[in-house]
Amino acid sequence: MADECILKVENIKKAFGKRQVLKGVSLSIRKGELKVLMGPSGAGKSTLLQCINFLVTPDEGEVWLEGSHINRARKHDLYAYRQQVGMIFQDFNLFDHLSALDNIEIGLARVKGLDKKAARERAMVELERVGLSDHAHHYPAQLSGGQKQRVSIARALAMDPKVMLLDEPTSALDPELIGEVLAVIRNLVANGMTMIMATHQIGFSRALADEIIFMEDGQVVEQGPPVKMFSDAVCERTRAFCAKISELYGEAF
Amino acid sequence: METLLFFQQEVIPAFLKGLRVSILLILPSAVIGLVIGILTGALRAYGNRGVRLVADVYVTLFRGIPLVVQLFMWYFGLPYLNIYLNPFAASVIGFSLCSGAYHSEYVRGAFLSIKRGQLSAALALGFTKLQMVTTILLPQGFRRALPGCGNELIYLVKYSSLAYMITCIELTGEAKILASMTFRYTEIFFAVGLVYLVLITIASWLLQLVEDRFTVPGFEHHKL
Repeated sequence: MADECILKVENIKKAFGKRQVLKGVSLSIRKGELKVLMGPSGAGKSTLLQCINFLVTPDEGEVWLEGSHINRARKHDLYAYRQQVGMIFQDFNLFDHLSALDNIEIGLARVKGLDKKAARERAMVELERVGLSDHAHHYPAQLSGGQKQRVSIARALAMDPKVMLLDEPTSALDPELIGEVLAVIRNLVANGMTMIMATHQIGFSRALADEIIFMEDGQVVEQGPPVKMFSDAVCERTRAFCAKISELYGEAF
Repeated sequence: METLLFFQQEVIPAFLKGLRVSILLILPSAVIGLVIGILTGALRAYGNRGVRLVADVYVTLFRGIPLVVQLFMWYFGLPYLNIYLNPFAASVIGFSLCSGAYHSEYVRGAFLSIKRGQLSAALALGFTKLQMVTTILLPQGFRRALPGCGNELIYLVKYSSLAYMITCIELTGEAKILASMTFRYTEIFFAVGLVYLVLITIASWLLQLVEDRFTVPGFEHHKL
């Protein structure tokens, strides 16, 4: 079963006005894999992730979850599908008027239909998992960036997603706070969560990714295991980019 | 002594009668105005171009024309179209529509200030559009709009003093009638001013209670 493809995305195209942001991107991911999307800003990484759960409607392209095709025109199917795909945003997007605990609870209560008590218990478990049970009653305005991102991960996990999409989860954080968020994500990898993650954290990707997908200008330029991608990428552009960011983050190979 | 007697026998009974009408005018106008304001504000923030245009025209008209003139139109103008409103109904309609136009501006600003990412986050969790509106948009919009809308409700208390211009005799109307009968303008209008001051003090206090009740960190309105 380990080989089974959980999520398959085929030929996603998206244009904003005249600008073709995605020019036909396909990928598939098996259970327990971590795939890392890299590439310069404007490459279409964010748009791709948002197209995968239809927060942005692709102009063309199809998505399958566990082999079943997602009919995005049917509201019911769409909402059911999104529940199974967790999304983590660069700027956290916690609900500002709700405490950390309520942020997690609300999806369980509204979407999953859990009763108050069950939702609260589950939310507490998830908060503990990201090490924030002491902050359960704090509001987003009272949390640090790293804590907010951990709450948002807990919120996504509470829905028992089959796949998680992470859109540069550490890019908006101070260097000091990146570690705590990566530690939580590392934990997910260890527990076998299937994830597609856009990130520039080279050390993290090298150590944990099953595959690096390098995107530029709305297309996948090159993909492969981290060892190959970082040390002898075929494509000139990939090599240049990897050299640039490793220089920037000071991580030697 | 004579003044005291005058107040006790003439002013207070007239004021009570007027105050009752004022309150009967203010309460429904406040509720209807707020509903109109929230709907119009939401349409202006999220509606398509056509809807927005209609809402914008409404706001432009009702904010742009003096309230007294609007009241005259409802009461003296509509009969030309064979529509006859009684003074009370004409006043409530006038106040509600004018108030709604102002509310919509606060509501629109409140909605627009909500970070869009939160809406994406809600959808990503599997919320329906309606759930997103009721659990994220409205609770946050309400908190952000509260100070502005509260201000507008306070204005409404004072708008109500225009109703007597179209013969709906409320507090100011009673005061004016009494004053012109007795020629004691100074005392009566001084007293009527005090009554409004008390009304508005009570209203601000109630609004403050509501604000405090719904304040959460990140939404507080900083008080020095």
